[in-house]
Amino acid sequence: MDTAGSPLAVERMVDGRLTCLKLSGTIDESFDGKRLAATVDATTLVLDLGGVRKISSFGIREWVDFVGAVGARRVAIYLVECAPKVVDQLNMVANFAGSGRVYSFYLPYHCDYCDHDDRVLWQVDRDHEALRAGKPPQRACGHCGELQYFNEDPVTYLSYLAGQERFELPDDVAGFVASRLAYGVGDGGRKLKVDKQVDGRITLLRLHGDLDGSFPRDKLAEGLEGTVVVDVSAVGAIDPAGAAGWRGLVQQVTPVIDALYLHGAGPGFLDKLTRPEDLGGKGAVVSLSLPYACAACRTTTGQLLDVDAHHPALLLATAPDRRCGTCGGALVCAAPEPLMNHVATLPRPGLPPPLRAAITALLERRPAPRRSAEAPVVAPPVVTRGGGFGVAFAAALAAVVLAGGAFLAYRAFRAQGETLPAGRGRLVGSSAPARPAWITSDRALAASCVAVDGGLSCFGVSGPEPSEEEAMSAAGDAALDALADAIAGRVSDERWRAQVLPLWAAARQARLEAADRDPPSPAARREVGELRRAAARALRAGAPGVPAVPTATHWERYQAQAGVQFTGYAQYTIERATVDAIAARYQAATSTLGVDVVTAYPLLVWRYPALTGGAVITAVGEGPLASRGLVPGAVVREVGGRDVVDAAGFASALAAEHERLRASGGSLTVELVADEGAPRTFDIPVARVDTGEPATPGAAGGRGGSGGRGGNVGTGNVNVWDRYGGGGPPREDPRR
Amino acid sequence: MRAVILERNRLVGRRIARHVAAVGGTATVIEDPAALPAAAADASLVAADVFDGDAVVAALAARPGPRAILWTAEPLRRALRHLAECPAIGHVLGRKDFDSPPRPWELALVLRSLRAPTAPLPLAAYLDWGHAGFELAVTTTAERDAAVARVQAWVGELQVPRRLAEIAGELTHELVMNALYDAPVDEHGRPRHAHDRKAAVALPAADAAVLRVGSDGSRLAIQVRDRFGGLRRDTVVAGLTRGLAGGELDRSGGGAGLGLTVCHQSSLGLFFELAGGRHTQVTATLELELNLRELKTHPRSLHLWEA
Repeated sequence: MDTAGSPLAVERMVDGRLTCLKLSGTIDESFDGKRLAATVDATTLVLDLGGVRKISSFGIREWVDFVGAVGARRVAIYLVECAPKVVDQLNMVANFAGSGRVYSFYLPYHCDYCDHDDRVLWQVDRDHEALRAGKPPQRACGHCGELQYFNEDPVTYLSYLAGQERFELPDDVAGFVASRLAYGVGDGGRKLKVDKQVDGRITLLRLHGDLDGSFPRDKLAEGLEGTVVVDVSAVGAIDPAGAAGWRGLVQQVTPVIDALYLHGAGPGFLDKLTRPEDLGGKGAVVSLSLPYACAACRTTTGQLLDVDAHHPALLLATAPDRRCGTCGGALVCAAPEPLMNHVATLPRPGLPPPLRAAITALLERRPAPRRSAEAPVVAPPVVTRGGGFGVAFAAALAAVVLAGGAFLAYRAFRAQGETLPAGRGRLVGSSAPARPAWITSDRALAASCVAVDGGLSCFGVSGPEPSEEEAMSAAGDAALDALADAIAGRVSDERWRAQVLPLWAAARQARLEAADRDPPSPAARREVGELRRAAARALRAGAPGVPAVPTATHWERYQAQAGVQFTGYAQYTIERATVDAIAARYQAATSTLGVDVVTAYPLLVWRYPALTGGAVITAVGEGPLASRGLVPGAVVREVGGRDVVDAAGFASALAAEHERLRASGGSLTVELVADEGAPRTFDIPVARVDTGEPATPGAAGGRGGSGGRGGNVGTGNVNVWDRYGGGGPPREDPRR
Repeated sequence: MRAVILERNRLVGRRIARHVAAVGGTATVIEDPAALPAAAADASLVAADVFDGDAVVAALAARPGPRAILWTAEPLRRALRHLAECPAIGHVLGRKDFDSPPRPWELALVLRSLRAPTAPLPLAAYLDWGHAGFELAVTTTAERDAAVARVQAWVGELQVPRRLAEIAGELTHELVMNALYDAPVDEHGRPRHAHDRKAAVALPAADAAVLRVGSDGSRLAIQVRDRFGGLRRDTVVAGLTRGLAGGELDRSGGGAGLGLTVCHQSSLGLFFELAGGRHTQVTATLELELNLRELKTHPRSLHLWEA
């Protein structure tokens, strides 16, 4: 929506003592900061600034008045989704945020090929390292698939944000942001956190975060009995995998519990997970949260409604009357009609008063604060069979490897409904009557890995393909690419992680994200398919023990408008010993003449698509190649005219060529892979060592001389610049 | 006009000297600041990088009379000190790097205006021949908003990135706001509208702010002129100094400087023609060939003509 030049619109959402103001348009002299500040009656203020397109100088003054007045009342202020215009002002006016802290902000990107502007959201916690590094990477354009660049000066743009302390949103704020606003907490979603409290026969589970494929169904089910109350008020986005996990939990525990009560179900949860089949035979919604709007002060609030208390009204698909907490005006329920019709069908929970009182008391008891905000799930203090729940679950989580493709799966499930993706068509056939359980996503191009007994099980999904063979091939490539990524995550060598891993990580991530755009870009998807094929080929060629065929496969045939299309699924399961062997092969460094190299990793094709082997320099120490322009991170593909396949090949070629040139004198040729254009060649002079025998003109095999490919008789195949003290300064970084 | 050019890069010095010759002047290029006092003895113009600003200021203090221009490949903030302490320095020209001269058109404009003063400068002075544009008289708040919208739409039609068109809109808004609210004074010289920017204003047609916008395809110029001429050189320099110093919003001067700073950061060059009591004309220029990242990092120019 183009809101530049449009007057400022302020949307207000209130949830208890938390208020969110969503600003869109222009902040100029018409913005009355002090007046708006006077209407904020909260302990926490979330400012959603993603829609701010313009701020005039007088608007800045008013804004500073606004945040100053709110901050003076000791209100905690969080700025989310700050638009580039807001970031500009943060950099220019030091007190622009007042006492507030910026949690997320947009980075502007531009594609010169199709002239498309993009925005990428960064969070100060998730993207802290990238923020400190101050180098937003290039990324694939969502429109044309070409690379787009960060369209600002990084040093200037990130100066304020990089200086801000890293922090995470408090749970209540994160829950609000995820559940009430139209966005999640960044693209990466919000990991589910669970608090568990047990009081006699009542168990309370508080869920905070998104319900996605990582939903810990089995672990949550362990030990549940009696009356189970689940507070779902802080549940954010729900994707099909998360919904399936939830339904599985309900199905699993229904036989062993007395009752399941859901508290604080918001519109999303109500819509997706409170159908009769979702609730099981013992489930009921005891309270729900519906959106109400105040026409007088343009405030939108979530109102918690007790189903028992308001059942007569709800039964008629109407919402009870409410008054605005800000201005006292009449509130109007803003829930859509289909949702209200569904609410009318909810069973009446009929809670006995003692049980109601006990549940209310438990809900009002705040859980102990978490120590580690990083832990995806807080282990409940309940010991179950087979060891502590926390230990077992933490181990299971730690074992989960999120391959790059898992991001695709996650995003995909969020973006679509619970049905098959639009456009896939009608399912008209498959390789098995039922889809196998190992398939955890059906999103095109999804891929992910899970740890299994120390090994890895990776699965991949193809895009729509015209034939079964092509679908299975693409799915296998996706799984192997995910496997390579997961194994890279297992490499422990710090130098490898610092110098080799970054060579492809950003390029791969950018292309995967581009392929996952909505609407999909055929070019970007095609590119991902080709790169995965190259990565899988390289993995099969170089890694020991990779199976020639998938461990399991499945295909589905769809009748789409475009004709029959196939979707393939493939799974590769690799034992731990094989995983360790592959990781060891690629991190093993070989040292020759002071240069340390490792074998080029298969995923390097994401950056160098034409790469078919090679060695990556990880260190350049004392020796004849020092200060000659070879730097860690450079990928060598040829030495002395000989192809380098791996680290060992580099070592042998280098040693042999150097020894030969010591006898004749000449230039040692090292060819590096460059990002674009022709490969970069370095001619490194090697002085002849006098053995008492005359040098043979042209003995360098026609590759010597001062840069030329032919012999250099005039200088005896020695670079004259080096002979006359022209060794000079080190050459430029060959990767640039 | 006899110019002394202090420039360590000989090639850059020669190119600047060529521009001096092109407007009918003569130039001596020196590379050593120590030679400046002697070389400037009979000069009418002293020109140097901001790096040598102190030497220029010292030379002009020893022998007042010549005008001076500076150029810089660094942020303008560092040059403001020299502008504040030496009224003879009227121009700071941004240049891409230390191996480049200032933009040729800008250098020519400044040299020509110094050799043969013309006030006020027409919009055509900022653009290449063959440019297109339009002019609006703005007297009310509603006309201001319409003018901003028209500028933004017009620039958008030049096939530039949308953000650039938005920047043009912001520039227009800031410049017109100053001409509409800050410039008008009553017969006693008291501000008419500056106390309340939220109020809608309606100026007599004779007091209209005149907005001119034009582009030659590679450069955009936005010019606003008022007939009151209340803006002074020290206000501009002090306001920018305050605004570019960073830190918290300083309201000691009533917040003045923030609008100037916004204009400075949204343009590549700001040209102030200050004719006390007669008119104030401010022109902002943008290079359309640059992407936004280059636009944000390219050194800015500031020009101050006083009549």
